[in-house]
Amino acid sequence: MKLRTALAATVACTALAGAAFAESHGGYKIGITQNNVGVDSYQTTYEQAFIAAAEANDMVDTVVLDAGGDVARQIAQVEDLIQQEVDAIIIWPTNGEAVIPAVRKAHKAGIPVIVTNSNIAEQGFEFVASFSGPDNITQGSRAAEIMCDKFKDMGIETEARVVQISGQPGYTTAIERAKGFEDRLPEVCPEVTLVETQPGDWNREKSQKVMEAFLVKYDDIDGVYAGDDNMGVGALNAAKAADREGIIFVGATNFSVGYEAMERGEYWGSIYQSPVDDAEAALQTAIDVLEGKEVPFLNYFDTPKITQDNMGDYTKPVF
Amino acid sequence: MQAGTLSTFLKRGAIWGFIVLELIFFTVAGEFLSLSETAFMDAGNMLLLFKQSAPIGIIAMGMTIVMINGNIDLSVGAIYALCAVVLLDSMTWPMLAGLGDAAIPLAWALALLTGVALGALNGLIVWKTGVDAFIVTLGSMLGYRGLVFMYNGEQPTSHLNWTLVDFAEAQFLGLHTATWFLLVVTAAIWFLMNKTVHGRNAYAIGDNREAAVNAGIRVGPHMMINFMIIGFLAALSAVVFYSESGSVNPNDGELYELWVITAVVLGGTKLTGGAGSIVSTFGGVVAIQLLRKGLAHIGADTSTVNLVIGLILIAVLFLDRQLNVKGKEELKI
Repeated sequence: MKLRTALAATVACTALAGAAFAESHGGYKIGITQNNVGVDSYQTTYEQAFIAAAEANDMVDTVVLDAGGDVARQIAQVEDLIQQEVDAIIIWPTNGEAVIPAVRKAHKAGIPVIVTNSNIAEQGFEFVASFSGPDNITQGSRAAEIMCDKFKDMGIETEARVVQISGQPGYTTAIERAKGFEDRLPEVCPEVTLVETQPGDWNREKSQKVMEAFLVKYDDIDGVYAGDDNMGVGALNAAKAADREGIIFVGATNFSVGYEAMERGEYWGSIYQSPVDDAEAALQTAIDVLEGKEVPFLNYFDTPKITQDNMGDYTKPVF
Repeated sequence: MQAGTLSTFLKRGAIWGFIVLELIFFTVAGEFLSLSETAFMDAGNMLLLFKQSAPIGIIAMGMTIVMINGNIDLSVGAIYALCAVVLLDSMTWPMLAGLGDAAIPLAWALALLTGVALGALNGLIVWKTGVDAFIVTLGSMLGYRGLVFMYNGEQPTSHLNWTLVDFAEAQFLGLHTATWFLLVVTAAIWFLMNKTVHGRNAYAIGDNREAAVNAGIRVGPHMMINFMIIGFLAALSAVVFYSESGSVNPNDGELYELWVITAVVLGGTKLTGGAGSIVSTFGGVVAIQLLRKGLAHIGADTSTVNLVIGLILIAVLFLDRQLNVKGKEELKI
């Protein structure tokens, strides 16, 4: 029996020891609590890129945590980071409102907080040093430019008709990507008309149904703008099933399905958002804040245009 | 020495021994591996430990009674989320919003009432249909979660009230509000299980339901009361936690039932019922949170945390089984 006790204890100990790894040397101590690593490859790649960027930089030591999508765990992690007296905290919010009190706690403890990827609600802005992430409005307006340029190439910029499939109603990301597109399109192509907008809820099947309805309703559709490539490809599938050719598909964020459709020549373009850029921008923002540099409150990283013409410059998205 | 005394002692003490082992390991390993200059056993860190144990811990107390009863409740995570929605949303109802901060106790009461009602529904179905609690609460887990999603779709339900946050973040005698709730609940349930007829009946029913019926215990209503208690505690856990965070995602509390059951089983409660202790459950809750906190402290990869908890759970159950076999053998002599 004693032996068994010892055995069980050893198992536990080995498991604990095996899990342990870390390094410690001087410089800034930065803690990050991520939303849910492993739920999709964007977040997984983000974490790897973040760790790689931190290791390449001798000035920083990082504590990398993952909330597993659980708000309670994320709040506990922020409390732990405050307790460990890190120099800065980077947070990828699991819930843009639930983390505000935890962020306030860090702010009260004198630790600057950098929000990454998706921002927290406005009530929490006063406790945040900076937001680092993609600019959804720019993504939307660049998608409008891609579409307009293509229409000009085709010589139909005076009469083209466009439909829009937007993201889930109520989501800031969806609202901003739609706004960016709707504001920019009349500026670059004033004679192109946006005939209708319907939500596709970030869902490929839903978007396919929305597009089917559009195709029945309108005989002449020249372009489709989708809030992301997932929805764009859903719309593409609907057009292929209905044998409607010559429609220009543009998305606001490039996914691997969109990239593949571009390779096949069926999908025109999108906006390239790299999780590696996202992670590196977050770390750099934290370092800049700690060094006392002037950092804009909304610190966006660049999301370039990708079309069939220049797609060779970009690797296929991992998500 | 009476036969089996040692193994009983080991069984009772195992969880505390494990906690001591964790503390020693993380203190030593933390010296070498942690980026933090503060020690793992730092008082502030230990106070946070209890506070962070509260959401799971409060529910685990209820789960201990239900499991001693020979039942199980898988719907606690969904009840937790639904009560959180009621708590936060009710404060925005025109009727309550006009009251200002006086709406807070009313919102609390509504959330707790919701928890009791949902628990009572579980209990009533178990009592009246005789279907196994596992199946009944599996159904209600899905059903209650469905209600959460029907309430506000995929969107979070939010209401940030700084008075409420300040109350939840307050520290009285050094302990956080959440810790006080956990301690009071633990004491109350300990009293219920050890000093009242209801508690003794719970053990009797779990040990041998037929004998309990023959002894004149009204098993059905008894079990229903226990389901109402765990419903109440799931709601209380939500009240304590969401007073501080002010926004609930529709998938919050998912997998809570599994963490709660893990903590209870680590504390030595039998899945078959009839045996278990509130104080050991408290140990189980602390052990899990300590492990999470410790692994984060020494910079372990987050994905290994679940693996380690899983391994330890199996090791504990294995140990427990071995000790029980030994105890029975020795009784025969």
